[in-house]
Amino acid sequence: MALSTIVSQKKQIKRKAPRGFLKRVFKRQKPQLRLEKSGDLLVHLNCLLFVHRLAEESRTNACESKCRVINKEHVLAAAKVTSKEEQRLEVKEYILESYYDAFFWAVTDHKDFFTHQFGIIKYWL
Amino acid sequence: MADHNPDGDPTPRTLLRRVLDTADPRTPRRPRSARSGAQRALLERASSRRLSGQTKTIAKGRSRGARSIGRSTHVQARGHLEEQTPRTLLKNILLTAPESSILMPESVVKPVPAPQVVQPSRRESSRGSLELQLPELEPSTTLAPGLLAPGRRKQKLRLSMFQQGVDQGLPLSREPQGNADASSLTSSLNLTFATPLQPQSVQRPGLARRPPARRAVDVGAFLRDLRDTSLAPPNIVLEDTQPFSQPTVGSPVYHSLPCTPHTGAEDAEQAAGRRTQSSGPGLQNNSPGKPAQFLAGEAEEVNAFALGFLSTSSAVSGEDEVEPLPDGVEEAEKKMEEEGVSVSEMEATGAQGPSRAEEPKGHTQVTEAEGSQGTAEAEGPGASSGDEDASSKAASPESASSTPESLQARQHHQFPEPAPPPGAAVLSSEPAEPLLVRHPPRPRTTGPRPRQDPHKAGLSHYVKLFSFFAKMPMERKALEMVEKCLDKYFQHLCDDLEVFAAHAGRKTVKPEDLELLMRRQGLVTDQVSLHVLVERHLPLEYRQLLIPCAYSGNSVFPAQ
Repeated sequence: MALSTIVSQKKQIKRKAPRGFLKRVFKRQKPQLRLEKSGDLLVHLNCLLFVHRLAEESRTNACESKCRVINKEHVLAAAKVTSKEEQRLEVKEYILESYYDAFFWAVTDHKDFFTHQFGIIKYWL
Repeated sequence: MADHNPDGDPTPRTLLRRVLDTADPRTPRRPRSARSGAQRALLERASSRRLSGQTKTIAKGRSRGARSIGRSTHVQARGHLEEQTPRTLLKNILLTAPESSILMPESVVKPVPAPQVVQPSRRESSRGSLELQLPELEPSTTLAPGLLAPGRRKQKLRLSMFQQGVDQGLPLSREPQGNADASSLTSSLNLTFATPLQPQSVQRPGLARRPPARRAVDVGAFLRDLRDTSLAPPNIVLEDTQPFSQPTVGSPVYHSLPCTPHTGAEDAEQAAGRRTQSSGPGLQNNSPGKPAQFLAGEAEEVNAFALGFLSTSSAVSGEDEVEPLPDGVEEAEKKMEEEGVSVSEMEATGAQGPSRAEEPKGHTQVTEAEGSQGTAEAEGPGASSGDEDASSKAASPESASSTPESLQARQHHQFPEPAPPPGAAVLSSEPAEPLLVRHPPRPRTTGPRPRQDPHKAGLSHYVKLFSFFAKMPMERKALEMVEKCLDKYFQHLCDDLEVFAAHAGRKTVKPEDLELLMRRQGLVTDQVSLHVLVERHLPLEYRQLLIPCAYSGNSVFPAQ
């Protein structure tokens, strides 16, 4: 895999995904499940984004506490926030979704939906 | 097939083919005759390069045709062969090419009149003789021997058996070579003469490469070990039975220096270079206590060792340990004769004593010694080759290589560094550490290591990414914290994926599940799709695998 270009970084980062490691971890955790071919790449992407968020958050924490070095506490706080955010998002989405669904089905029926459409068409015609 | 063996020349198959080609002047496939000549020439050159399988099949397939061709060409070469059947041709070949013929020229010759079924086998057997045959068959025989000789050298490795057969066949083949060409004979003979030089080295290629010197050393060590072991065999059994008892006990002891003076005698052979280094510092620690012991070395291992123990123990300051040490030492002395396992014991005991006050010295020491021995022996193989190593090996596990190293070094001249005093233990631990480094794979238990290390290695990849994204220096503890977070994250991830897959009624996690997961995490929204994220963060190679793209020929990859 291609190495990342050195963009104001002293060290190079390997962009390779540890596919074997990911597959092994998944197998260890859920031996009854199977992972598809490119699934582990998406898992890697997910990890990348998670780590990215975590790093940003901890960096923010460190800067707020005016430290030059990222400490354990910064990381810990960042982790908490990130996981909470995820949960909140999930919950929010879920609530919104269910709300929309309920609203939609309350307002319209299947059979009504089509007649309504036809009505509009008829109107325009 | 037994007959099938390589000649120094072009592969027997090619030769056989040529024989076949040349051997069939009478078959109906005349039109091939023109080819046969070219084939023969080609065969000579290409034979060596051709794959055996191909040649075989081709040879067999073409046997019929080749026969005719061969015959025609053969006829050209030798006029008197026209009326001969393939069998006779082959027979002639075999006769004329005794050396190259495969192992049993006589057997080949005999079945000449046999039905054609024999011919194929003969053909193969005559592969070797092909080389010889070529000269006779073709007018350009003069070239053949030259070609054959170098070709033979190529295959000299495989000639071992063949050579034997050839040599045997030489005298035999001479007789039936009534009509064999003298030239071919001589050429074949020449070839054979050339080959014998090689086969001798070839006959045992594997052995030739082995370094004999190593054996001698091992033997010496082995004898010494025998001597030691013979004295106290039962102890060995005892010690071996507890391969793992030591690891837990011995681990703390690992600082203590090994005190295998008596193993030193055995291990004198072992490369004490590095050991000496390790033992050097250890020596210094113990030097005050045992200069004499060092000198005594091999002969009075037991005594010296005991002394060493005592002296070191006393010097160390662990008074308690002194007592258990002597006990252990005594026990060890009894077993001294053994392979030095006892030495390891002593070392273990000695090491344990100073390092570990908590544990019941006498008991643990013994057990540790035994365990260490067991472990040492188990691990030993890497450390040293001889039995001497056994003792040192035993020590190493417990004292994490410090003991074995020092033991080995000691063996040379010094006495084992008996359990040095706690201060000395600390010092010894230092030399032990480098020793440890040298023997890193001396884990107390082999189980956890393979499980943990690859896991950590994989996680470390993401930890590095974390530090890259953070763009700020980080503490080590922070990195460890990141590791724990990642661990938890992976667990959550797997659980979620399982739920999603079960929701879809599947047992395989598909990319759709992954997309749903990212959507729930808020990474994928209506504005930002999964493909956008893939393009942003993943390298090209992965992008190509994930995002379906249309290619020429109306094909989409990856297929949907």
